Amino acid sequence: MARIDCKHIRNFSIIAHIDHGKSTLADRLLQATGTISERELREQFLDDMQLERDRGITIKARAVTIRHEHKGEMYELNLIDTPGHVDFHYEVSRSLACCEGALLLVDAFQGVEAQTVANAYAAMEHELDVVPALNKIDLHHARPEQVLEEMESSLAVDPSEVLRCSAKSGIGVDDVLAAIVERISPPEGDPDAPLQAMVFDAVYDDYRGVISYVRLMNGTVHKGDRIRFLRVGREYEVVELGQFTPQRQAREQLVAGQVGYLICNIKALDDVHIGDTATAAHGEQAEPLPGYEEPKPMVYCGLYPADGENFEELREALTKLHLNDSSFEFAPETSDALGFGFRCGFLGLLHMEIIQQRLEREEDLDLVQTAPNVTYEIQTKTGETIQVFNPQQVPDAGKIEEIRQPIVRANFILPADYIGPVMQLCTEKRATYVRTEYLSPIRAILTYDLALAEVIYDLYDRLKSVTRGYGTMEYELRGYFPADLVRLDVLVGGKKVDALSVICEREDADRRGRAIVKKLRGEIDRHMFEIPIQAAIGSRVIARETISAMRKNVTAKCYGGDITRKRKLLAKQREGKKRMKSVGSVDIPQKAFLAVLETGGER
Amino acid sequence: MNPGRSKCWPEPRAAYVHVPFCAHHCGYCNFTVVAGRIDLADALLSAIERELRDLEHSRPVDTLYIGGGTPTQLSTGQLDRLLTTVRHWYELSAGGELTVEANPADVDDAHVEVLARHGVTRVSLGAQSFQRRKLGVLERDHTAETIYEAIRRVRGIGAAVSLDLIFAVPNESLWEWEDDLQQAISAGPEHVSTYALTYERGMAFWGRLVRGDLAEIDEETQAGMYETAIDRLGAAGLSQYEISNFARSGCHSRHNETYWMGDAYFAVGPGAARYVDGVRSVNHRSTTTYIRRVLQGQSPVAESECLAADERARELLVLGLRRRAGVSLDDFFARTGMRVDALCGESIAELVRHGFVDRSEATIRLTRRGLLVADSVWSQLLRG
Ligand SMILES: Nc1nc2c(ncn2[C@@H]2O[C@H](COP(=O)(O)OP(=O)(O)OP(=O)(O)O)[C@@H](O)[C@H]2O)c(=O)[nH]1
Ligand code: SF4
Ligand SMILES: [Mg+2]
Repeated sequence: MARIDCKHIRNFSIIAHIDHGKSTLADRLLQATGTISERELREQFLDDMQLERDRGITIKARAVTIRHEHKGEMYELNLIDTPGHVDFHYEVSRSLACCEGALLLVDAFQGVEAQTVANAYAAMEHELDVVPALNKIDLHHARPEQVLEEMESSLAVDPSEVLRCSAKSGIGVDDVLAAIVERISPPEGDPDAPLQAMVFDAVYDDYRGVISYVRLMNGTVHKGDRIRFLRVGREYEVVELGQFTPQRQAREQLVAGQVGYLICNIKALDDVHIGDTATAAHGEQAEPLPGYEEPKPMVYCGLYPADGENFEELREALTKLHLNDSSFEFAPETSDALGFGFRCGFLGLLHMEIIQQRLEREEDLDLVQTAPNVTYEIQTKTGETIQVFNPQQVPDAGKIEEIRQPIVRANFILPADYIGPVMQLCTEKRATYVRTEYLSPIRAILTYDLALAEVIYDLYDRLKSVTRGYGTMEYELRGYFPADLVRLDVLVGGKKVDALSVICEREDADRRGRAIVKKLRGEIDRHMFEIPIQAAIGSRVIARETISAMRKNVTAKCYGGDITRKRKLLAKQREGKKRMKSVGSVDIPQKAFLAVLETGGER
Repeated sequence: MNPGRSKCWPEPRAAYVHVPFCAHHCGYCNFTVVAGRIDLADALLSAIERELRDLEHSRPVDTLYIGGGTPTQLSTGQLDRLLTTVRHWYELSAGGELTVEANPADVDDAHVEVLARHGVTRVSLGAQSFQRRKLGVLERDHTAETIYEAIRRVRGIGAAVSLDLIFAVPNESLWEWEDDLQQAISAGPEHVSTYALTYERGMAFWGRLVRGDLAEIDEETQAGMYETAIDRLGAAGLSQYEISNFARSGCHSRHNETYWMGDAYFAVGPGAARYVDGVRSVNHRSTTTYIRRVLQGQSPVAESECLAADERARELLVLGLRRRAGVSLDDFFARTGMRVDALCGESIAELVRHGFVDRSEATIRLTRRGLLVADSVWSQLLRG
């Protein structure tokens, strides 16, 4: 097979705010280029993870190679469909690092939104050729002129360069293909230089081991070549390589500029890392590529196996998943109430939810999750500064000089009509006003500084509700600032349950405490004895609820000596209890550990 | 039979015989019964005879219990045949207890005569209630008069009377139950068994409960009814000796004690459960399948289990605690080779602390509070 010249390759990502039509446009591109047949086509074809289909969103960036004829010449286009949700921004920046261009979609009705701006900036920072396009122009309520104005004022794009298309109806798709070839630069790279391949993603396959997704910056790799992953330095033979069409399609070789995969029969999960560089094992070797900057987790929670015996399975599952998503962290921890588990860090709440669900579905584990929290910095009286990832680690009040919490700068993009309600919401969340800017006469960006902890509780849902779904937000860490915080402990049946502690603002503690104990009362079943549920700061109880004792639980009947049947009934009840955690003699159901998220509703 | 095993497991001294026929399948009943198939009676008797033949030779027992279903659904001829066979294979020792369950409406002179001829010592009457309303809800075909009449006849042959009573029937009030207790007491039985109506899958009442056609009596009222039963019956000289059983002194059911003591027992008939050589097994619950299997020379056993030593010990503890006398610690050790404390000392301490279990030097027993939530106590003890 003749080897392809870089000038016939285009590598680009499709980026946009969530739901602006990236995956749908990818469908059209796959269809228009005959990559998939009409028969195979289904909506958002590249969203093939079950969770993506269930939720209708993209979670993982997905690469695919398409072949397209333009002005009598054949081009190989490697497109990466990226997720739009803020929690998966890391997937976007990794994708951008493999590309020379980005197709920036903006919903012609919704207009510029928070992730439009964030992703467009990311593309510019990577010095990519950005091809902007208005999508969904088929919508009869589309407002292309205003949206163009918003794009011009927020992203400094020239309205005359903006394409117009509809991923749904197919309008303008040919123009998009033409622009990709004409406006995005071909990759630069020397096929004869030493192999230098960037690992931008990886998955673990039970039969084939680690499958590395690569973009070749330089050089050529053939099936049977021996290569080395620079981070760990171990050498492997390439047993298969190929491209995504969209399924894996084996090839004989990959050359500089191309995107594809390598299978090297790697069973040790630690031998390959996302961001790693692969080079030739022998002869002249390439320099390692800069790789990716690992994002810092924003929220932490404890994940424990529901059945304490599955601790090792959980470790294995986390390790496997981490190969595919290195943006979450995990480290072992123990809890009096929950036993052995892991403290895990995530980029956001959706990320947390997705990882938990992937563990449960893909690895068939049953998990107990504790309520998420942010990281705190504590300065002790002895002058030490400690980082706290877990409320249990907060020392006694007497030892603390100062607690600092993460503050973010949040940009809310919304129709100007909703400025009032959003400002009110921000005041409620004790946010500090920074500024207001107008994208157009009817759309504005409000900027506030506020505690990350407030963001993770319910800010996003509240924003959606006060703006009827039209408001969007993105945020960026500004740093750690002192705050008047306390640790709120929860006692169940008189025993402190470590996994239920939370850190909150002192002035908010009473309300939170009341809300938490009330919620717990509803979550825990009645027992043989009365169960007091208390919220306390130090030794001071600030809220209390009681679960009254069960009055009668005795089934007297015994079927003519059929003791087995009786025992089976009891065993069944016990099976149910296994899914709970017992603290003292109180059985607490798994989901009660999230009860501490209860904020007590609107203030 | 494995001679090595029979050495360590004492021979059963009790036997149970199940007669599954009923005139009607009551909506609250989950026993192994067949309604309206009395035509199967002769085949069933042949099957029971066939099953008994496997005993090879007649076995001495101290108690024999003919239960159901409704054994008195059998014609007098059939009942006679059954009792003759059963007594041949299970030879009742002198002073032994022979109980037959009976439906009050079936206790006529002819049936009573058969019972007398076979030396029946106890008749357990499925009275359930004396109230017309409750009996209607329970789909029973008798009245208070029928019960009194049946008692009179049983007395006539010198047998002891046990009455079954149900409480917490849909819409039942506490005073309705008190009235039932009063009538039961004045009827003067030696023994009373009482249960709260429970809803389980497979009962017609379950479906009605799920559809909202029936409502369960609230827990507080049920607790009150149970406590009233314990107090009223106790005051009348019928003292509680087991969770749901009450008797005049010396009149408790020796057969049922076998179950609570964790002793061995034989059993024949559809759905019958036995405990022989340390193995608990249950016959197939379908009457027709049971008959077919036995008559074809196949085993009627549907499932069986042999518990590990510590599971057996826990079971023994739980069963023993059903008895008001409780569990003797030394006796427990003698029978299991395990100390109660080693098995579940922590749970027991916890239960004692909360006042569900009473502990003395020699015994542990449920308190009144423990009695009310016995099922929760069991789960606690079975888990550790
Ligand atoms: N009317 C109309 N609807 C569209 C168009 N493009 C996409 N949609 C719809 O918009 C919704 C979101 O489309 P997706 O393709 O999943 O959006 P996405 O940008 O990939 O979303 P994420 O991956 O979750 O960020 C779907 O219901 C699509 O059918 C379009 O051109 N016109
Ligand atoms: S309650 Fe008694 S009579 Fe009614 S079906 Fe059950 S066994 Fe038969
Ligand atoms: Mg998508």
